[in-house]
Amino acid sequence: MKFYLVPILATAIPLFANAYIQFMVNLMLVYVLVTVGFNLVLGNLGQLAFANTALFGIGAYAAAMLMAHAGWPFWAVIVPAGLAGAAAGFLASVSALRGIRVYYLAIITLAFGELLRWLYIHGERATGGTDGLAVPQSSFFGVALDSETARFYVFLVIVTLVVKGISNLMHSRIGRAIVAIRDNELATASLAIPTGRTIVLAFVLSGFVVGVGGAMFALLIGRVIPESFGLIELILHFAMVLVGGFGSLLGSVLGAVALTALPEYFRGFPGLYEMFFGALVIVFLLVQPRGLSALVAHWWPALRDRYYREG
Amino acid sequence: MRARLELEQVSVQFAGLRALSDVSLSARGGEVKALIGPNGAGKTTLFNAISGYVPLARGAIRLDGEPIHGITPHEIAARGVRRTFQNGGLFGELTALENILAGLHARIDAGFAGILFGTRSARAAERAAVIRARALLELLGASHLAERQVKLLSGGQQRIVEIVRAVACDPPLLLLDEPAVGLAPPVRAQLVELIRRLAGEMGIAVLLIEHAVDLVMAVADVVAVFNGGVKIAEGPPSAIRADPVVLEAYLGHA
Amino acid sequence: MFALQLALSGFAQGAIYALVALSLCLVYRSTTVVNFGHGDLVMAGAFVVYLMVVLAGAPFLISAFLAIVLLFALGVLIELGLIERIKAGPHIGFALMCIGFGYVLRGIARAGWGREVLPMPRVLDFPPLLVGELVVAGDSLAICATIAVLLVAFFVLFYRTRTGRVMQAVCQSERGAGLVGINVRAFHGVMWGTGAALGAAGGVLIAPITLLHPGLGATFLIKGFAAMTLGGFGSFGGAVAGGLILGVAEQLVGGYLSTKLIDITAYLVIILVLALRPSGLFGTTVAERA
Repeated sequence: MKFYLVPILATAIPLFANAYIQFMVNLMLVYVLVTVGFNLVLGNLGQLAFANTALFGIGAYAAAMLMAHAGWPFWAVIVPAGLAGAAAGFLASVSALRGIRVYYLAIITLAFGELLRWLYIHGERATGGTDGLAVPQSSFFGVALDSETARFYVFLVIVTLVVKGISNLMHSRIGRAIVAIRDNELATASLAIPTGRTIVLAFVLSGFVVGVGGAMFALLIGRVIPESFGLIELILHFAMVLVGGFGSLLGSVLGAVALTALPEYFRGFPGLYEMFFGALVIVFLLVQPRGLSALVAHWWPALRDRYYREG
Repeated sequence: MRARLELEQVSVQFAGLRALSDVSLSARGGEVKALIGPNGAGKTTLFNAISGYVPLARGAIRLDGEPIHGITPHEIAARGVRRTFQNGGLFGELTALENILAGLHARIDAGFAGILFGTRSARAAERAAVIRARALLELLGASHLAERQVKLLSGGQQRIVEIVRAVACDPPLLLLDEPAVGLAPPVRAQLVELIRRLAGEMGIAVLLIEHAVDLVMAVADVVAVFNGGVKIAEGPPSAIRADPVVLEAYLGHA
Repeated sequence: MFALQLALSGFAQGAIYALVALSLCLVYRSTTVVNFGHGDLVMAGAFVVYLMVVLAGAPFLISAFLAIVLLFALGVLIELGLIERIKAGPHIGFALMCIGFGYVLRGIARAGWGREVLPMPRVLDFPPLLVGELVVAGDSLAICATIAVLLVAFFVLFYRTRTGRVMQAVCQSERGAGLVGINVRAFHGVMWGTGAALGAAGGVLIAPITLLHPGLGATFLIKGFAAMTLGGFGSFGGAVAGGLILGVAEQLVGGYLSTKLIDITAYLVIILVLALRPSGLFGTTVAERA
C-alpha cells in the first residue's frame, strides 16, 4: 500500500503548477512508462536492444490512427496501443525462441526498429508520411481532455496502474526468471525455466508498457511524426534508464523525472541534444554506472529492489 | 533401490573428437555415485549430456524410464534433473533467498494473470514459497545469508546456496560438478554432511564429480572411474582404491 | 545486361561496406567489444575530409590522410580513456559507452553543419570506362581499386607478418598473450585505432560520391552489421564478402523492385539471415552466450 502514497500525493500537483509545468509533468509521466518499459529489457533482462523508440512509435501511431481515422475516444485506444507495442515487441524478439542471443538479438532489434520507422515514413495515407498525423481533441468518458490538468489525472491513473502491474510481475517468479537469465542463462534453464519464452515475454511486456506511453504521447503532443521515433530520440531513452538505474523500478521513475525537461533547453542549438545525452551516458558509466537508484538504496536500504513479496 | 537414471551406451562427439564412448551408467535414489578421473576424461561432458546442453552421437538416457535425450535443457530440468555448475551457477546480483526462490520456480502455483492482478491465490503461493525458502536456509544454518547478495558471499557459502537452490524442489536426480573445489577443510566436512543428508534423508540420486580422493572416499557409496571418455571401472570405494587399472590411469595424478 | 550494370554500380558501394564491416570486425575480434558507435567514426572521417576540402581548401589526398590519422588517434583515445576504464563492469556497459560517444560525434557533426545534406565538391575526376555496353564510373573504379589495395594489405598483415601473428595470438587468448609478454592494453589501443582508421578510410572514400549528413553513421552501422551477419559474424573474409554482396543486392533490389526499398535492404538481410541461417555464409558460432 506504500506504493500508492506517491500517486496520491501527486494529485496535488495541479494546485501548484501552471499550464507549462503541468505539460512537463504530463510528459514526465509519458517517459516514466517509456523508461519502465525499456528498463525491463535493458536492465532486468540485461539485453541490449534498440527497438524502444520503434515500440514507442507504434503505440503512438496506433493511437493516432484510431483517433484520427476511426474517431475513437482516447480511453478506447489505450489498450490497442499497448497491444500494438506488445506485438511489435514480440516480433522484435521472436528469434530468441530459436536461440538468437546477445549481439545478434540486439542487431535484429536495431534492424526491426528502423524498418518500422521506414513504414511510418512510407505509410502515406495511413500514417501521413513524413508530415505525420494530427491527433484530434479527445475525451475520457465524457470529460474533455483539452486541458493539461485533465490529461494529468488521466495519465496519473494509467501510469499508476501500469507501474503497479509491472511491480507485481517483477516481485514474483516471473520477475525472478527474467533477472535470472541476465545473471546466468545456463543456470536458469537448469531450474526448469524456459529461457527463450521468458526473453520474449520481457520484450512483450516492455512493448505493451512503452506502447501505452506512446498513446499518451500522441494525445499530449497532438501530432505524430516519424522523426520523433528514430535513433535521435533513442539516446534519451538509454540515458533515462542508465541515470535512473538498471533494473530498478524506482530508478526508471527517477531517470524519467530527472531528464524529461532537459531536451527543451537544447531546442535552439542543433547537435547539443546528442552531445549532451551522449556525454551524460559516458559520464554515468564512468562515475555512477548503477544510477541514481543505487544512491538512494545506499541511504535508504529499504528501497532496494527486491524480487519477491513477503506478506 | 530402483535406478532413477539410466545411461545406455552413450557417445558424445565434439568436432571429430570422441568425448564419450559407449558409456553406460545408472544412478539410484538415495545413493551417492562419484565420478572420478583425470581432467578431460569426459566427466563434465557426461553431466552436460544428461542435462541436455550437449547432444548425443549415440545411445540413450532415461529418467524413471522416460527418455530425456534430445530435449531442451529446461524440459529436462522440468522432468526432475538438477545440477550445479563448475564455475558457479548462482545469480550473482540476487540474494541467497531470491536464488532459492528461483529454484522453486516450477513449484510456485501462480499464473501470469494471477500475479499481474495480485490475486489472493497468487500472493498465497508466493508467501508459501518464501516460507519454504527461508526454512531451507534455516535447515542449513544459513538464515543469516538470506538477504545478502550472493556475489558477496564466500566460495563455500556460495556452494551451499547453489546446492540448496538445486534441491529446493525435491528433485529425484542431482548432478554436483566439483562442489568442493577451493574449499577449506571445515567447509568440506560441512559439504560431505550435506551431500549425505540429501541422499539419505531426501532420497535423491546423487552423481558427483570430484577430484579430492579423500572427499570421494568419505561421501560416495559407489565410484565410477573415467579415462579418455570411457568408463574403466566401477565399484565401492574400497575396491576402486585397490584396482590396478584405476591406479595405472592415475599414475602421476594426485 | 541491366542486371550486370546494376551489379557493377553496386560493387563500389559494396566495397565501402566491406571496408566498414572489416574494421568493425577487427575491433570485435581483437577486443570482444562490438562497437555500436563505429558508424559514427566512419561518418567522422567523411566530415573531417569535408571540412578540410571545403573550408580549408586543402587537396583531397592530404585531407584524407589527415582524417585517417586523426581518427586513428581518436580510436586509441576512446579505447584507453573510456573502454579500458569500465573493463570490470558488465558487457552491456561497453555497448552503452560506444553508443554514447557515437552520439557525441553525431552531435558535433550536427552542430557544425546543421540539418542540411551536404554534397562534396568534385574531388575525383576519373572518366568513365566503357566495357562493351557497360558503363563503369571512373570514380567508383578508383574507389574500388583503393579499397582492394587496403584489403589486400590487411590480409597480408594479418596472416603473413609477425604483427599479424601477435594479433592472432591476442585474438585467441588474452591471458596467454599477456603471459608471453605481449602488452595487451597497448594492443587494444592500437586495434581500436586501426579499426577507427579503416572505418574512417571508408568514410573518406564514400565522401566524394555521397551526400553527407550527421545521420550517416547509423546507416553505416547497419550496413556494417548486415555485411557481418551475412558473411558470418566474426569472420574477416565473411565481412568483406558480405559487404560486396550487400552492395550488389541493394542495387538489384532498387533496379528490379523499387528504389524506395534500397534503404531497407540491409534490415531485411539482417532479419532474413538470422531467421534462416544465423551463422551466415562463412561463420560457425550462432547463439552467443554472454
